[in-house]
Amino acid sequence: MKGKSTLASLVVLLALVALLPFSVIHADGHCEFADEAIKIGGLVPLSAPGSVAGGVAMSWAFNRAVDDINADCGVQIGDQNHRLQIVIGDSEGSPERGQAVVERFILEDEVHAVSGVYHSAVGLATMGILDANGIPTVFSEPWNDNVSANGIMEYDGRPPRNADGVDHIFRISPASSMVGGVVVDWLLAEGVDNVVIIAENTDYGQPAAADEKARFEAAGATVTQINVELGTEDFVPILSRIQASATVPDVVRILVTGETSYNLTQQMAELGIAPTVDTICVTNQFAFQSEQYWENVPDGNYCTFNRVGIIPSLFSDIAVGLNEDYFEEFEDIIPSFAMASYDALHILADGMERAGTISDGAAIAAAIETTDLELSQGRYYFNYGNHNDSMPADDGMPNYLWHQWPDPVVTMMQYFEQGQSSLDAAVIFPEVYQTHGTGYMAPGEMP
Amino acid sequence: MAGSDASQLTRTHGSEDMVIEDSLSVWWLLLAGPLWAAIGLYALPRSQGKIKRDERIDVSRLQIAGLIGGFALGPLGIGLFFLLPDLIRRATLILGILIAVFISSQVLVRVSDPNVPSVIWLVLAGPLWAALGSYFIPRHYHDVDADDINALTAAALGGFTIGPLIFGLMWKHTPKISRDWMIALGSLGAWQIYTLFAIQNPSNPCVQTPFQVTYLAQQTANGVVIGCIYSLMAVGLTLIYSVQGIVSFAHGQLYMVGGYFSFYFLIHAGNILSELTGTEITVNPIWGIPVAGFIVFLMGAAFERSFLKPMHDGLIERASEYAILITFGFGFVIEYTTLAIAGPFPQRANRFIEIRRFTFPRTQITEDFSFGPLNIIGDRAFAMVVGIVLIFALLYFLQRTWTGRGLRATSQDKQAAAVTGINPTNMNTLAFALGSMLAAMSGAALIPIFAWVPWVGAEMVGRSYVIVVLGGLGSVPGALFGGIIVGIVEALGAGCHPDPSRGAAYKEAFALLIFALVLLLKPTGLFGREPN
Repeated sequence: MKGKSTLASLVVLLALVALLPFSVIHADGHCEFADEAIKIGGLVPLSAPGSVAGGVAMSWAFNRAVDDINADCGVQIGDQNHRLQIVIGDSEGSPERGQAVVERFILEDEVHAVSGVYHSAVGLATMGILDANGIPTVFSEPWNDNVSANGIMEYDGRPPRNADGVDHIFRISPASSMVGGVVVDWLLAEGVDNVVIIAENTDYGQPAAADEKARFEAAGATVTQINVELGTEDFVPILSRIQASATVPDVVRILVTGETSYNLTQQMAELGIAPTVDTICVTNQFAFQSEQYWENVPDGNYCTFNRVGIIPSLFSDIAVGLNEDYFEEFEDIIPSFAMASYDALHILADGMERAGTISDGAAIAAAIETTDLELSQGRYYFNYGNHNDSMPADDGMPNYLWHQWPDPVVTMMQYFEQGQSSLDAAVIFPEVYQTHGTGYMAPGEMP
Repeated sequence: MAGSDASQLTRTHGSEDMVIEDSLSVWWLLLAGPLWAAIGLYALPRSQGKIKRDERIDVSRLQIAGLIGGFALGPLGIGLFFLLPDLIRRATLILGILIAVFISSQVLVRVSDPNVPSVIWLVLAGPLWAALGSYFIPRHYHDVDADDINALTAAALGGFTIGPLIFGLMWKHTPKISRDWMIALGSLGAWQIYTLFAIQNPSNPCVQTPFQVTYLAQQTANGVVIGCIYSLMAVGLTLIYSVQGIVSFAHGQLYMVGGYFSFYFLIHAGNILSELTGTEITVNPIWGIPVAGFIVFLMGAAFERSFLKPMHDGLIERASEYAILITFGFGFVIEYTTLAIAGPFPQRANRFIEIRRFTFPRTQITEDFSFGPLNIIGDRAFAMVVGIVLIFALLYFLQRTWTGRGLRATSQDKQAAAVTGINPTNMNTLAFALGSMLAAMSGAALIPIFAWVPWVGAEMVGRSYVIVVLGGLGSVPGALFGGIIVGIVEALGAGCHPDPSRGAAYKEAFALLIFALVLLLKPTGLFGREPN
């Protein structure tokens, strides 16, 4: 019996010794934290059919932001510092699942704010719940215009969504129309006349395709739209149909995400549809992940793609640091949605600090409206909100600019060497951002 | 009512005005007929409540009589059958034919203008004749004691294609329905549908002459290539079912993990060889196929011994449910373990061959007709060959080796097989391991073709279930042909759909449509064993 108690004492002692370094850091660090931590719900897809790769990158960025903010003594409210804590929830890319996770965030985890969301359908499905419960939210990746425009549409042209005069939903990713505008402007400048758009059947793909189609048709171009399901692997039958059409398309525009876009782009290249001298290949922002892109689309040289976020050559110190850490973790260039997720947590923390509260959603939302922060993607601010008497429409601007960061940089980039890093790829549009002094290069051309 | 302005429908076709006389009876049939049919369907079977059990008429026959009598004659028909049940059999047939003739004639009248061809009659009235034929003709065959195998299928196909003529052909002589009959009727139906489609969609690439031959050949080639790859996966599933009598819900994940085993083997083997030789060496993905197959063979065998054997030993109370749950769980474990190890980012192995695509060049056949070009992606063609070789190897193994014969014997009768010295327990393990191995090998054959993620098996396995049921559960040739049929149907469906924006999105639905049709007409599948 005595032997047993001696053994137990030894185990306890060893455990205490093992824990000693941590307790020293906690007690001896330069920050003293209040008991109550600030919980932020991070809603990301971590299971199929959601874009798991996107969710993993966003989760990583959230954790990195939490580490950085806590290392800087957390969020200071009055004379107390609050530790930030991220609670990750898996939306699976499904609106229903996203709603369930958000309800869990609110009822069980009692989060103070929410960020994330990759899929537009999840954003659209959850924003009402978040707003109704007064949870300040900064979405970092959904593109559907209505994610921000709904604040106006639902209330008959009058902000805000709620009777108490508060709208809690913000977005720092671009609206589809912001991206579509750049892509279409560039293609029209290239003189395209016959356009094929291949779009996924989602709340991202369909509105984005409709927007771009309308812009092309307004300029007199002919547009053929083909819809595909996310998760489809074999596109050869429908690509053969494009190949068999009487006129060769000037451009094939891909509005499909994830590995589905890789399969589509590669099969298109294998069949010799695009990129060719006659047909421009415009794939989506996933091509920026050059390691993944070349592994999955080995024939995708000379494809162009839209890139959201500051161009690598203009990366700030924050972005460079983030990119280095991301590369160390995933051996690839950091995507814009990871940078946006990192920035979103800083915007929320800053809003709480300036509002002087962690639980008054209305005060935090009001503070976020007046954000003026320089982060990894640039300077964040919101033109339209309750702090501005004008509605977007009053200034002739689209509704989606309500609670929308207006300055996401959207550029067109192009690979011109097999296996090229996206850091070396050419920015070809807008002209002001061109990195290699050239616009679009047909296959075989070099800058 | 004829001549009344109010009862005339006027339709304009170009410069030509056409007046179609309305008929009250048509509207009565359309509006009140279904109501009386519903009443007849409900009431007539309940009308024999007080009749002695052995004098009662078959309920389904009464339902049809109520339906047709009510639709054709309203309350009169229901009353007639209620009072004179002996008339039911003959009167139902006559009334059914009258209704079909009437509706057919109305359809003809309404579409008889130069812009709408009469072939549309086949689509509108064809299903009605098919329903009538498939109900009455097999019963007639049965009543006159004729050989009624395939009578239902032939009657349905015949009703669809040649309308009332099928009654003339099959009713009096009740011929034995040979495979030639079925092929002839099926071909006629396909031709009619194609003709109708061509008339309705003249600009569709599948019907534009002479171009359509090349395009159809291209889409068929696309379908055959991917279909052979589908088959390889489905063959494994059907093998497991035929011997063990269970459906493996881990099949998609075994396919997925096979791809990953191949991928990592290729990387590590390349690294080792590069280090040994001092030059960078890339290992061809063909070597990954047997490696992945071998590893998953062992995994499958271990799983079967650990979790399925107790079920076959009678230690599990609800064996069917257990098999579903345990294979489902096995799949879950594989998928999430792979996700944890390999991560969510898509990966892809190097090419099998450095030829991006094979192109059959344009060839001028006659002065007006040329064929080609046809494109087949190089790696797909290679994977197709791998799939065919593996399936034929499996067929050889099953047909020509003692162990293969043992598997087949076990699939037919476990006890009888045991009497002849075959160990059913070992055969169960071998079947599961072989089926798993085939799934893994198909995954390893496809990782150079598709972006690979831990949930890549979900789409493929759903299609495999369709293929094995379409081909006939437990039939290896059925899985082979089922895969090719599904591949072709998907390719033609996506390539020929009238609305190009929808074709690709509905790709899987086309295969399901064929699947449903085959199940309706031949519930055992194309190569399935007929019930004893």
